Amino acid sequence: MHPLDARSLYQTRRQFLGRGANVLGFAALASLLGRDPHALALDAAAHPLVPHFAPKAKQVIYLHMVGGPSQMDLFDHKPEMAQWYDKDLPDSIRRGQRLTTMTSGQTRFPIAPSKYKFAKYGQCGMEMNAELLPYLSQCADELCLVRSMNTEAINHEPAITFMQTGNQVTGRPCLGSWVSYGLGSLNQNLPTFVVLVAEPTNREQLQAISGKLWTAGYLPGEHAGVAFRSKGDPILYINNPPGVAMETRRKTLDGLDALNQLNYNALGDPETHTRISQYEMAYRMQASVPELTDFSKEPAGTFELYGAEAKKAGSFANSALLARRLVERGVRFVQIYHNNWDHHSNVSGRLPDQCRDVDQPCYALIQDLKQRGLLDETLIIWGGEFGRTIYSQGGLTTTNYGRDHHPRCFSMWMAGGGTKPGTVYGETDDFSYNIVRDPVPVHDFHATILQLLGFDHRRLSYRYQGLDGRLTGVEEAHVVKALLA
Amino acid sequence: MLPEVKTANWVRNPIDSFTLAKLEANGLTPAAEADRRTLARRLSLDLIGLPPAPEVVDHFVADTSLDAYEKLVDALMASPRYGEHRARYWLDVARYADTHGLHIDNYYEIWPYRDWVINAFNQNMHFDEFTIEQLAGDLLPNPTQSQLIATGFHRCNITTAEGGTIPEENLANYARDRVETTSWVWLGLTANCAVCHDHKFDPITTKDFYSMSAFFRNTTQEHTDKNIRDTAPVMVLPEGKDLERWKSIPGEITAANAAIAERRKQIVPDFEKWFQATTPAEVSTRIGATLVSLPLNEGSGKEVHGSIAGAEQTLSREQDYQWKPGKAGQGLVVDKGSTLDLGDVADFERTQAFSVSAWVHVTGNGSLISRMDVAKGYRGWDINIKDKEILVYLVNKWPENSILVTTQGAPLRPNDWRHITVTYDGAGKAGGVRISVNGVESKMRVANNTLTDTIRAVTPLRVGQRSTGEFFSGEVQDLQIFTRKLAPIEIQGLMRMPEALLGAAKAVAQRSPRDKTQLSEVYFAGDASAVANSHKLVQLDNEQKGIQARSVVTGIQQERMDTQPMAHILYRGQYDQPRDEVGAAVFSALHPLPKGAPHNRLGLAEWLMDANNPLTARVTINRMWQEVFGAGLVKSAEDFGIMSEPPSHPALLDWLAVEFRESGWDMKHMMRLIVTSATYRQSAALTRDKLERDPQNRLLSRGPRFRMDAEMVRDYALAATGELSPKIGGASVKPYQPEGVWEAVAMPGSNTREYKPDTGESLYRRSIYTFWKRSAPPPAMEAFNAPTRETSCLRRERTDTPIQALVTLNGEQFVEAARVLATHALKAAINEGDSPFDYIARHLLGRSLRPQEIAIVKKSQHDLLERYTAHPDEAKALLAVGDTKLDASLPEPQLAAWTMTCNQLMNLDEVLNK
Repeated sequence: MHPLDARSLYQTRRQFLGRGANVLGFAALASLLGRDPHALALDAAAHPLVPHFAPKAKQVIYLHMVGGPSQMDLFDHKPEMAQWYDKDLPDSIRRGQRLTTMTSGQTRFPIAPSKYKFAKYGQCGMEMNAELLPYLSQCADELCLVRSMNTEAINHEPAITFMQTGNQVTGRPCLGSWVSYGLGSLNQNLPTFVVLVAEPTNREQLQAISGKLWTAGYLPGEHAGVAFRSKGDPILYINNPPGVAMETRRKTLDGLDALNQLNYNALGDPETHTRISQYEMAYRMQASVPELTDFSKEPAGTFELYGAEAKKAGSFANSALLARRLVERGVRFVQIYHNNWDHHSNVSGRLPDQCRDVDQPCYALIQDLKQRGLLDETLIIWGGEFGRTIYSQGGLTTTNYGRDHHPRCFSMWMAGGGTKPGTVYGETDDFSYNIVRDPVPVHDFHATILQLLGFDHRRLSYRYQGLDGRLTGVEEAHVVKALLA
Repeated sequence: MLPEVKTANWVRNPIDSFTLAKLEANGLTPAAEADRRTLARRLSLDLIGLPPAPEVVDHFVADTSLDAYEKLVDALMASPRYGEHRARYWLDVARYADTHGLHIDNYYEIWPYRDWVINAFNQNMHFDEFTIEQLAGDLLPNPTQSQLIATGFHRCNITTAEGGTIPEENLANYARDRVETTSWVWLGLTANCAVCHDHKFDPITTKDFYSMSAFFRNTTQEHTDKNIRDTAPVMVLPEGKDLERWKSIPGEITAANAAIAERRKQIVPDFEKWFQATTPAEVSTRIGATLVSLPLNEGSGKEVHGSIAGAEQTLSREQDYQWKPGKAGQGLVVDKGSTLDLGDVADFERTQAFSVSAWVHVTGNGSLISRMDVAKGYRGWDINIKDKEILVYLVNKWPENSILVTTQGAPLRPNDWRHITVTYDGAGKAGGVRISVNGVESKMRVANNTLTDTIRAVTPLRVGQRSTGEFFSGEVQDLQIFTRKLAPIEIQGLMRMPEALLGAAKAVAQRSPRDKTQLSEVYFAGDASAVANSHKLVQLDNEQKGIQARSVVTGIQQERMDTQPMAHILYRGQYDQPRDEVGAAVFSALHPLPKGAPHNRLGLAEWLMDANNPLTARVTINRMWQEVFGAGLVKSAEDFGIMSEPPSHPALLDWLAVEFRESGWDMKHMMRLIVTSATYRQSAALTRDKLERDPQNRLLSRGPRFRMDAEMVRDYALAATGELSPKIGGASVKPYQPEGVWEAVAMPGSNTREYKPDTGESLYRRSIYTFWKRSAPPPAMEAFNAPTRETSCLRRERTDTPIQALVTLNGEQFVEAARVLATHALKAAINEGDSPFDYIARHLLGRSLRPQEIAIVKKSQHDLLERYTAHPDEAKALLAVGDTKLDASLPEPQLAAWTMTCNQLMNLDEVLNK
């Protein structure tokens, strides 16, 4: 028995159609009724995809530290905290702010001062960890450090998604896709947007990193990131099947092109030509990727600069070197993920491993790009999805502690690409808990990055589901001018 | 009603009147009808998603009857493959997948819903019924199993179990997804803007949004998916004997519970008598078969008293025992300086069931109670505390011959007394160990399960240490050991023991009502009949869990019966900023709920299918049109709102919507109308004129031609080569996939971290059955614009990229398929004298090659043969791709050359396009 049979009322076509007239605001329907829906629509002119102003940065290398590095152990020195060891975080600081359910059940929030020494570096006197960053600290004058980043999300999945796409809910385009969409390709044989997932040495507390972070969201699919892999084929399916030499592939492609041309002659579909050109692009990628990933011709100095780890496939150092080679070959956006920064416990056991993985390669990347004259046009971004709490999660001793997620403040740095070198921006309170000066919300950070790339974040948009979608969302965001050179 | 047209004889059905009128108004003429081979292929691809067998094409070409075309349409629509093909589109809409989606992204079982969709299309379930069952099947009177499975639609949303997430936030996200999905799918409205603010363009307010969300917030689904396959509520689908038991167990549970309740009433007079006369000594052994009972509540002095192996005993020492406030009265301090030696007792064998119960307050780690000989390879048993976890050791020799079970989630607290019960069933397996804290069974982890020999140890039973070391730190009260497995009701009684003992020590007149309650619980826990039924409940519960664990399950919706649908308006969409409470209501700018419709999901579904709703018919028929023509009459299939592109053929959309509704929402009828139209039957050939004036075919001046979707590309290859499995439905399968795709993104603890491809038939199932991990969708499908299935997708993109070329040129599935097709072609040449070129072309293209094409293919083929003759090692390597056994009767260089010829032809634009 049909559930609606009893209720179903027969209506004439006229009545059925007539209902549409009562529904205001549906373009597809309104037009049926002879109205011009676009008379009602706001002016939403198509945006030409030429930069809105001269870009400073043409390429980007984004180093995302997955898990959320501890700002007060690395870049945000809080010497006053030494007096506060194992004392409770004052309510006046916490202000009832929400916590994750991992520590919201704790009866105490004892303060864990950083166990590390800090020092000032460079002419700018940038203060940072003096034990774990021996390399990076040497290029303090190249860095543009923000100590007042803050985010809305408190758990990894939404926070990484927010950092990458400007929205906590999955499904929006990520920064790399926006840059691909806005600036397009710089080369003929490699993807525009490449993703590298580096393997951390310490793997105690990994977080999820998934392909959804580099999908194009509502942007056309060609703007999705292409993941390069450290094991197996560098790009999925890039290698010919066993027993198919490049010459063999070339010959079969020649035949294929000729056959497709005949098909075009018969049907005249321009898409057929697109297909021919995509097959040729695929062939060029096949031809160029082996050279790209072959580091054997790199001089010995390269491995002195990046460290011996750079020879180990999949390491962060290896990924950083590959990023430089990608940028050299005209890849627009390189996203590197480095995992295991989620230090709920054992900061002193894990943080040194994390820093050892990234410290020298970050330094090397900056130096290397600078030597090659690429740093001015290449924006390097380093940071996680949120910060960590000053209070200890779990057991606290003077030499070890854990830290929970902290969205209200964290540190990130940039280098090159038109950022202002030797800059320290923003300030947090004595507890590195609240921002006291110059907060930089994620959307402002994104707006600033787009500005460096030549785009007005309000105008870089894409029409989807009736809305002009933007990286910086619907609410107002601001470019942080102090970060620009 | 229908528009006037000049060339009326072109019109085959009303659709054509609308499209022709539009063409004539634009000065265009329709394209000629496509040839029969093209039409057979197009129909087959549109109706069943697979290329036609050459015989089907030949038969159609030779069929001179007037209704040859309609006969082919009917035959295809009657194929069970029809339902699979239509279901594939709907599964995008339903965001169906095989994992939870967020964080750990473990396996989630809901494939019976996928099969329900396939079946619904094959049965031609009408769209109103299709809608109602999916949105509210559980709210129909006496819902059938099928109607419950259908409600899986809104159980396909992504969920999380990430540690630290906030329940209210997760629930808000789930509800939001359901409102957005419902709104896109049935109304063509993008409600998502209204999450944070009143919709800027369409008449949806934030209040509307959250009122709609109330419909979806009144189900029993929890905020966490728990990382399990059967996230409740689920429908369990047992088979055979399990099904019979599954049906009768609930009745048996009810009966056992009723018996316990009845018994509780019965024994009241006996209890009253007992209450008047009982003593602490009697109370402490009330729960039978006690081997050891130490109240440990003396509170002072050099002695503790208790019953050990049936005898009253005193454990004395030279200095005073230390005491601290206990669960009730004083509790004994047990630490390095103060442990108890109970003598030669509790020397259990591996096959001996036993239980231990105690109240504890832990301040450190160590052994609570043990009979363990450290020097003899840790022989014996030990209940140990470590980092707020309880560890149970049963050891012959550590670690190779032992059981170790530990709690998870640190149930002990440094500031609080906790009641611990450990039970062991004597079966020699870790699974027989159960640990409860405060009467609730803990989450447990088996660390060791290798015990095969005796655990008897030559060492005393000790409280607070092993034979040496592992000193306990904390206080203990009411320690009891039993030589059997305790029932839950007995554990409940033991929990009351410290208070009951204090109560019993008082004169009857001095006992408080609470004392009496505690004593009555202890008394009841010592009742044989109640205990027997309590054991029975455990056994029934285990049986039920066992059946669920080995049965297929599927996620369903289940309405909460104790609450009314409601929600809060969330300020700026933030779950922690709830504002006004709202009840369930439909969008205020649209028609009202039908009279008498309930204010729940059933009412919502009826509202969507209501005759006054102008949207549902239009958006649904528009998507059907989109499936066939590549783009809808309204291009933005998910958005009919003010910001959408107006329809290309508004009157046609109207007519189709009305026809759809008046047909009783008959989906097959509508599909048949579309594909039998002259509009559909046009050739896809483009002229320069049409390219200029109708570049996107928005005016429908030619037949549909576009690159097939991901699944079709793969299924096409499998079907053309004859490898495709005919099996319909069942658990999802894992065909070939490059190594490391899951591993690269998966969390360490995820059960979808390692991708192990299936073997045999499962490698060749239709792509709709391919296992879909949301955080790493099948990469070959992703390359062809398949969505991630994280959110509802009403319109796939269609881009052309080099990665796609790499998939079909190099992917194992495609290379193997090429070899299989080449093998068939060469065999046919040997057996029937067919030209291999012709064989391949007829299977891949539904036609023979043209002379110009033959020349090109022959040249390639010649070069390839030369190459593989000169490089037999390459031939061998190529032919080793794929699991299908190599046909050894064919010369390898020749087969390799033909394999590459097939690979070449399988990549033709003509093959990849509909």
